[in-house]
Amino acid sequence: MKYMILHYASQADFDAMAGKDSAVGPAWQPEEVAAMGEFMNKLMNDLVESGEFVDAVGLAAPVHTRRVGPGNVVTDGPYAETAEVLAGYTIVDCASFDRATEIVARLVDTPAPEYVRARGYADIRPLMSGLEEITA
Amino acid sequence: MTAGLEGLLRTLAPQALGAVVRRYGHFDTAEDAVQEAMIAAASQWPRDGLPDDPKAWLIAVTARRLTDLLRAEQARQRRENTWTLPAVAPVEDADDTLILLFMCCHPALPPEQQIALTLRSVGGLTTQEIARAFLVPEPTMAQRISRAKQRVKTSGVPFRLPPDRTSRLAAVLHVLYLIFTEGYASTAGPHAYRAELSTEAIRLTRIVHRLLPRDGEVAGLLALMLLTDARRAARVGSDGALVPLESQDRSRWCQDMIEEGTDLVTAAMSSGPSGPYQLQAAIAALHDEAPTPADTDWPQIEALYGVLLSMAPNPMTALNHAVAVAMARGPAPALDLVSTLAEDKRLASHHRLHAVRAHLLEMSGDVVGALAAYQQAAQLTRSLPEQRYLNTKAAALAQR
Repeated sequence: MKYMILHYASQADFDAMAGKDSAVGPAWQPEEVAAMGEFMNKLMNDLVESGEFVDAVGLAAPVHTRRVGPGNVVTDGPYAETAEVLAGYTIVDCASFDRATEIVARLVDTPAPEYVRARGYADIRPLMSGLEEITA
Repeated sequence: MTAGLEGLLRTLAPQALGAVVRRYGHFDTAEDAVQEAMIAAASQWPRDGLPDDPKAWLIAVTARRLTDLLRAEQARQRRENTWTLPAVAPVEDADDTLILLFMCCHPALPPEQQIALTLRSVGGLTTQEIARAFLVPEPTMAQRISRAKQRVKTSGVPFRLPPDRTSRLAAVLHVLYLIFTEGYASTAGPHAYRAELSTEAIRLTRIVHRLLPRDGEVAGLLALMLLTDARRAARVGSDGALVPLESQDRSRWCQDMIEEGTDLVTAAMSSGPSGPYQLQAAIAALHDEAPTPADTDWPQIEALYGVLLSMAPNPMTALNHAVAVAMARGPAPALDLVSTLAEDKRLASHHRLHAVRAHLLEMSGDVVGALAAYQQAAQLTRSLPEQRYLNTKAAALAQR
């Protein structure tokens, strides 16, 4: 069964990670960024080895969002500075919702500044397998 | 900064700008971002060494600066930054530099803004350099560029090749031509930084020629620039005075440029119908190929001007045609042509018309008439070297 793990962050979080003090807290130190990268790499590698990895994607900073609304009106950068929006996702193919939850639970150990860890969360959403699942 | 590094940066600048605008949009802000990235490169590369992939480095730093600038902008004013989706045309894969050129030469912009924006966004020149070249204060040029960017932004041009490519390419070539002549003909004042404009125009036209190698007019324009610029060293005397074509020291003409230009125009003319730039290049080639002024193939030049005139009627072309007629067949028929041209109000007050008339009258032996015409031409021109040349001619006649 496939599950999507959704990660969230605000523009301020992106800024802090990029080395700037922001509305949510001070800038990350380079070693903190490196440690997080290493941790995520290990996690992804484990998923590849267990055969559960499908796809992982990181999104560019929210500032680069273009929203197309009714009447094809396009809005650039529609999010407020501290609004938490989708920052990336990981798709896993695993035995159960509980196994997916186990995978995400490992994210609790992601190295990051304390103020980031205190707020951290991720959502898990089961993927529909096709249109028939919706219309049946 | 060394010349090599500057050259590399100027080549990479439009590529970085194109890559970032293609990916994130925001032409106006991205344009500032690439300038900041270039400044960063100019200070870091000589110190830390060239990055493994300089282009990727410049794109990454430009994208990062764009993010910073957008963030600051959006935090400052959370205004509704909205626009309506333009009609969708198929996306064509093309070099980003070419798309940038089309953007900078957008018909919504007046020529002086097209020129300034092209030199900055595609040429990678700083606002200060462009201001110096056009002899205007830097704030004036900065304002001109920012107006141009604002206009491009509000016109909502999507980042892709325009559907009316042929007519838009003509606008691009015209802007490149204007940049070249601005550097070559110096319409006002002394000419310290202006020669660089011609070199820059040639560099940009080479890029377009590389992107569109089969376009005959692009090849024609490049050939015209090379064949004209080849005479640069001989064009101004040691006293700073303008030396007319027939008195130039031909050994000082740049043979490499003449050869390259001649090859280009010959190949272009044999491969399809000729356009105005090709014809002008062919005329320039006939001048450049003559070992002495007496060897010039004037009947051929007269014929080419005739074709050019029928294709693109223009008072300056008509004047040059008249000169060719005089050289091929004598001053009398040429003077008739010039009298007809003088009926055009715009031309009647142009120094070129009077300079040509003076020259023709001198050829026909009318010293008094020639003297008056040279004096009138000298009064009308704004260019100091040209004024000096015309006054010298008048003074020589007055002594007869």
